[in-house]
Formats: sequence, C-alpha cells, structure tokens
Amino acid sequence: MLEILALALLAAVLSGNLCGAVGFYVQRLKITTLSFSVAHAALAGASLGLILNFDPVYSAIVFAISSALILGVIFTKMQYGRELVSMAIFSASSAIALFAIYMSNVRVLATASIAVVLWGSLLAVTVQKLIILVLVLILFVLYILAYRMHIDSMLYDVKLAEAEGLNVQAHMLAMLFFAGVIISLSFRLTGGFLVFALLYNPVAAALQLTRKAYMQLFLSSTLGAVSALTGLVVSYALDWPVGATIAIVSSTILLLAYLFKTATEMARKRKLRNV
Amino acid sequence: MPPLENDIVNLEGVWVAYSGSDRPAMRNINLRVSAGKLTLITGPNGAGKTTLLETCLGLLKPYRGRAYLFGVDTRSWRIREARKMCSFVPQDFIKPPFEAYTVRRIIQLGFAPYKSIFESLTEKENERIQWVSELLGIEDLLDRPIGTLSGGQQQRVVIARALSRKPRALFLDEPFSSLDREGRKLVSKVVSEYVRKKDAAAIIVSHDVNPIIKYADTIVRMDNGKIISGDCYA
Ligand SMILES: Nc1ncnc2c1ncn2[C@@H]1O[C@H](COP(=O)(O)OP(=O)(O)OP(=O)(O)O)[C@@H](O)[C@H]1O
Ligand SMILES: [Mg+2]
Repeated sequence: MLEILALALLAAVLSGNLCGAVGFYVQRLKITTLSFSVAHAALAGASLGLILNFDPVYSAIVFAISSALILGVIFTKMQYGRELVSMAIFSASSAIALFAIYMSNVRVLATASIAVVLWGSLLAVTVQKLIILVLVLILFVLYILAYRMHIDSMLYDVKLAEAEGLNVQAHMLAMLFFAGVIISLSFRLTGGFLVFALLYNPVAAALQLTRKAYMQLFLSSTLGAVSALTGLVVSYALDWPVGATIAIVSSTILLLAYLFKTATEMARKRKLRNV
Repeated sequence: MPPLENDIVNLEGVWVAYSGSDRPAMRNINLRVSAGKLTLITGPNGAGKTTLLETCLGLLKPYRGRAYLFGVDTRSWRIREARKMCSFVPQDFIKPPFEAYTVRRIIQLGFAPYKSIFESLTEKENERIQWVSELLGIEDLLDRPIGTLSGGQQQRVVIARALSRKPRALFLDEPFSSLDREGRKLVSKVVSEYVRKKDAAAIIVSHDVNPIIKYADTIVRMDNGKIISGDCYA
C-alpha cells in the first residue's frame, strides 16, 4: 500500500506541475476553449477504452491527439469559427463519454475502472504510467526551452508573430498536443470531469499573484503540484474521492489568491491616499 | 528563399470578405509596390485600409483574385518565408497595464522567426536594438515593462521592433496615431531614410495631414473597400 501511495504522490506532483504549466500557455495563447475540447475528447477516449477493454489512458491519448490535430488543422484553415468546431467536438465527446459509461454499467465492469474515468483513483497509478509522465515532462520542458523566443513572441502578440513569419500554427498544434497528452495522463488522479481543476485553477491563481510572465508560469505549475499533492494526502487521510478533493483544494487556492490580491490592492490604495 | 520578383506586393483583382459578413471589405483591388518606394494609403474609417495591409501580409486571404508578397502567393505555405522579410506595426498595438514583458525583450522577440532552436540573440543584433532605440528616443525605456508605458511610447517600441528586424518591406498601420508632433516628424524621417538607404518598400496607412506625405512616392486613396485614386491601380 505504501508503495502505491508513493507512486501516487509522485504522479500527483508531476501531473500537477504539467497541468499548471500547460494551463498557463493555453490561457496566454487564448486556446482555452480548444484545450477544453481536447480534454473532453480524452474523456471520450478513456470511456470507450473502458467498454472496449483497452487501457483508458492510451485510448484517451489517441483521442486527445486526434482532436488536437483536427483543431490544429482547422486553426490554420479557418480564421473564424474555430470556437464553434471546438464546441462541436466538446459536446460530441461528452456524449460519447456518457454513452460509454452508461453502456459499461450494463456490462457490469469493475467499478474501479469507471472510477478512474469519472473521479480518479489512487490505485490507478503504475510505474509504467509514471515513467510516461516523466518522459512527457522532459519533452515539454525541452520544447519550451528550445522554442523560448518563438513561444514568447506568441505569448506577447500572436498576430504580430504570425505577420513576422513565425510558424504560429505549428506551435499552437504542439501546445494542444501537449495539453491532450498531459490531460490524458492526469485523468488517473482527478477523473475526467475534474481535470480542469488542475488545468485552469492554478493559472488563474498565478495571474492574481504576479504580473511577470515567467513568475506566472512558475507559480502556475507549482500551485498545480501543490493542489494535486495536498488533495491526494487529504483524500487519503479522510477517505474522500481523490479527484474531487484535488478540485476543492485548487479552487480554495484560487480563492485565497484572489483574496490576497484584493487585500494587497486595498493596502496599496490606502498607502497612496496617505501620502 | 522564395523566387524574388521585382514587385514586393502585387494584388491582382483581389476581393476580401470577413467571415460572417456578406459584404466584401475590399473589392477588386489592384496594387503593385516595388522596392525603394514609399506608399501612403489614406481614406476614411472603415475604408478597408487595415484589410488591405493584412491581405498583403497574407493574414487575410482573398476569395477572388490573387495576392503576392515577394512573388509568393499568400495562400502558399511558403508565405512564411516572405513574411520574414517584412515588418508589421498593427493598428491595435496598445498592451494592458499588467503586460510585463520589457521593452528590450519585445524588440528582441522580433528576431524570433530568424532563430532556430535554443538560439538567442547575437551581440550584433543587440547592438542594433540599442541603436534603433536611440534613434527613436526610447533607449531609457528599454528595461521598463511595456504595460507601464504611455500609448505614444508603446507605439515607438513597436516601430523600433519593426525597424530592428532589417525588413525589406514595412507595413505600418496608422503608425502615428499616438505620437506627438515631434514623434510624427521623427518617425517619418527615420522610415523614409530607411526606405531609401536599404531599397526597402513601405506601405503606410495614415492620414495625409501627417508629415510622411512629403516623403510618399504614391498616395492611394481608399473608400468603401475600393481604391478611388492613386497611380498604382489598374
Ligand atoms: N473582423 C471583422 N469582421 C467583420 N467585418 C469587419 C471586420 N474588420 C473590419 N470589418 C469591416 O471591413 C471594412 C473595412 O475595415 P478596415 O478595418 O479595413 O477599415 P480601415 O480603413 O482600416 O478603418 P480605420 O480607419 O477605422 O482603421 C469595414 O466596413 C469594417 O466594418
Ligand atoms: Mg484600420
């Protein structure tokens, strides 16, 4: 049991880190809706994997990458209406996921495997999945470092970057690809519907706390890891569902960040009034 | 490198519409711009000036007619190579107060398309950034976050970024909109000298009251999505 817990803790830190980081980029590049669709496609993939007896992580990755590719291509071909296609993928994926879950009930699958898809499970982490997580982390960090200037230019102004000859589409595609893979891998802990708590809450909190882009990235990925880790420990101690606990922790962190910001703003204004 | 023709911009009977709009924003536009020329585009609000500039760069694609940049059809994937030889100053350049990139970094980022993986700026490129900043009077702002600058200061920064890249074509959308009188004079002089010295082309959207008019080789007037006068149209 201890060994499983150690694996889960490591996976929580890695998933939290990765989700927080990719969430930061997705938010700054304004492709949140697209990543939302990719996440739901991953959920659909995982659910289908469940009834077809595949490892849900792998079917999730396949679905996530395919939807990322479709959205990426649409991103190049269509100047407007990306959001619409994105919403179509989102609702279709959710439908597939719910159907699959419904059908899996009929087939009386072990509840543990449904739990993985729906609300996450401590038991779902294996050494193999952990190794994949580490590999993805290395790849992602390499990508970010290798294309630092290109990505910075896009974070600053996507349209200007494109006008200057940057391959904006390829980088958007790469980001969606990473988002898809990272979401699929983080499922194990949070469950499909709550993976967003690790994806968007940390970056939202980071945006409250600092204005510097690199600090935002650092904070977002740190807060992601802290949320996942704390959520895991609390859920283990209190025997709560792990995904929901992580979501509650990350939402609490967001709330605290917001309160902190409001308080410092008020203090600053008071100081200004006094001089 | 794409095959270079004499024309830097060549629009042949171009029609452009924004998606969701059933009215074309640009109708049957013909325009040629060659190296060493400064073209001024004027016209009332909504005339289609920004649309024209973005069509030249291939950010908007024609639904009828053809648009070429350095001889490359803007629908081709090779358009990126042509864009690398261009600089752009967008009309909506102002960043919100929380934008934290420093002025220096923002100008440096203009070199991103020329860089391969893990590559950063050369000594020479940084020197050039310093030089252009001094030229435009923003050398004291280089380490300030862009969001803390005034509109006119921010506009000088985007112009500095445009010039630092040593482009062979400049596309400037209302580059004087936030500048004071001195600034308008200075930028007009710097841009026109750049065009002469480097045999570059400049397409500048601006009102003809601005000092740039005395440097313009061609003045194109637009209204209602059409070119209504100018010696470049067929
Ligand atoms: N995103 C858009 N969607 C739909 N229509 C648009 C869009 N942008 C511009 N238009 C329309 O296209 C026409 C040309 O607009 P454009 O921005 O090119 O004008 P402009 O000459 O640059 O005006 P201004 O002097 O105000 O900058 C206008 O009628 C405008 O309403
Ligand atoms: Mg305009």
